[in-house]
Amino acid sequence: SEYDYVSFQSDIGAYQSGRFYTKPPQCVDIPADLRLCHNVGYKRMVLPNLLEHETMAEVKQQASSWVPLLNKNCHIGTQVFLCSLFAPVCLDRPIYPCRWLCEAVRDSCEPVMQFFGFYWPEMLKCDKFPEGDVCIAMTPPNATEASKPQGTTVCPPCDNELKSEAIIEHLCASEFALRMKIKEVKKENGDKKIVPKKKKPLKLGPIKKKELKKLVLYLKNGADCPCHQLDNLSHHFLIMGRKVKSQYLLTAIHKWDKKNKEFKTFMKKMKNHECPTFQSVFK
Amino acid sequence: SWWYMRATSGSSRVMCDNVPGLVSHQRQLCHRHPDVMRAIGLGVTEWTMECQHQFRQHRWNCNTLDRDHSLFGRVLLRSSRESAFVYAISSAGVVFAITRACSQGELKSCSCDPKKKGTAKDNKGTFDWGGCSDNIDYGIKFARAFVDAKERKGKDARALMNLHNNRAGRKAVKRFLKQECKCHGVSGSCTLRTCWLAMADFRKTGNYLWRKYNGAIQVVMNQDGTGFTVANKRFKKPTKNDLVYFENSPDYCIRDRDAGSLGTAGRVCNLTSRGMDSCEVMCCGRGYDTSHITRKTKCECKFHWCCAVRCQDCVEALDVHTCKAPKSPDWAAPT
Repeated sequence: SEYDYVSFQSDIGAYQSGRFYTKPPQCVDIPADLRLCHNVGYKRMVLPNLLEHETMAEVKQQASSWVPLLNKNCHIGTQVFLCSLFAPVCLDRPIYPCRWLCEAVRDSCEPVMQFFGFYWPEMLKCDKFPEGDVCIAMTPPNATEASKPQGTTVCPPCDNELKSEAIIEHLCASEFALRMKIKEVKKENGDKKIVPKKKKPLKLGPIKKKELKKLVLYLKNGADCPCHQLDNLSHHFLIMGRKVKSQYLLTAIHKWDKKNKEFKTFMKKMKNHECPTFQSVFK
Repeated sequence: SWWYMRATSGSSRVMCDNVPGLVSHQRQLCHRHPDVMRAIGLGVTEWTMECQHQFRQHRWNCNTLDRDHSLFGRVLLRSSRESAFVYAISSAGVVFAITRACSQGELKSCSCDPKKKGTAKDNKGTFDWGGCSDNIDYGIKFARAFVDAKERKGKDARALMNLHNNRAGRKAVKRFLKQECKCHGVSGSCTLRTCWLAMADFRKTGNYLWRKYNGAIQVVMNQDGTGFTVANKRFKKPTKNDLVYFENSPDYCIRDRDAGSLGTAGRVCNLTSRGMDSCEVMCCGRGYDTSHITRKTKCECKFHWCCAVRCQDCVEALDVHTCKAPKSPDWAAPT
């Protein structure tokens, strides 16, 4: 069979520590809409997972915000690492990611995350993960071709795939989204400061209505990296972002291009799409 | 005693009437709350295992007797440290078992802590109470009503000792009730946080009570018979968290049916240890036998993509030392 179950001394109890003694762990198919892990290379996962998400709805909601990072190709092992925790391999004991894999992914991806105002979160701290041989480090064979040389120095928030699905996912992972024109772009304290005009909100999130008028966006650490979208300011943009401390960070930028097929599909999909929300998961 | 409920986890009615030594209030509770009794009965196995874990290196190892109505035999008739520990861990075990069954939705009379709702604040900011907070107050209340009922019948010194140690056990569980939280923000950030109160693993309670066992305080009744005073004036007064006892323990070296001691003949001892499990101490100076055994273990396990863990079989040779029996055979011991 596809899976090779090795029996250990009944170690399944290790899954049941902490809060989660209420439900015995179960093995389920990785659903297609768990995009982070659907194609990771195995088909079944354990619930609750190793991040203590108890329901599939909770896993999906939490995993969705990591999909954009995957698209940044910061490390070849990112998906395997994240999925070993979000959608753990179904064996009769929990298998954690190897510490060295965690460290390698963290070292490559945290700088990229910082462009988006994120730090390596507590739940992924590498010193929790084991050293030794019983841990996940393997890269699925088909991922080798997906790894492309890291020659580009484009600002990560400007390095967006023009695919309707990717834009939708990004929209869900963002706190706010606006359609806007850009008045000017300035350098400030190592960031790019973006002054918009003619804003139309698609999703306001943390932005208060009265703040909208004087809204300024920042491309964090972006003073010196190229962002080709900003080369031509004559058209409209789709801008997504999040609030970090008191700053509004730009986390994705697209030309508002109605002639582009993918962008048109995105506009159509957006109308009926519902993002997995915190509320719907924890009601 | 209610400890016997371990052996009889059948339907509620049969169980209540078949447990010898329940006092009438316990029997009433038993009939009224069959689901709680089931939880308590399952809990007995758990706390006896914890007791055996804590005493694994001792001459008395918390062994249970299957057919004995008081589960541990005559050992606990003595008001010893060991009795103090067993009463404490058993009442702790009841609190733990009921509280957990509550959270799992198995009991009609209780649920997750209804007071833990809405938003609250701690040193990390605001959070939402969510999920299920362990309703330990219910567990404690029920445990007190049920377990202490027996001791409230008589007002003798032993009853007071048991009540004290029962309470210490209940308090020990609550000590390890901790707030746990989960972050729901994007990319693992903690902008949204839900928290709940959860009991720690029962091992923590076991370890804590074990420390209390080692520091247990010997007491005598005070003059008007209402409380304790320290037996040795140089020691501190017991607090509500301390375990108390009246009588020194026997040495548990030889089998003694009257005292309920099994003796240590045949027990495994540790040749390199200098503690209670050393062959010297465990075998009470009688010496030990050594046998060579081989053991198969899984070793050099590796994870293979995807998805299997493959191991080698390793053979390990080791010596096992067991205590010799006393020269004069057990059955010749005077009864």
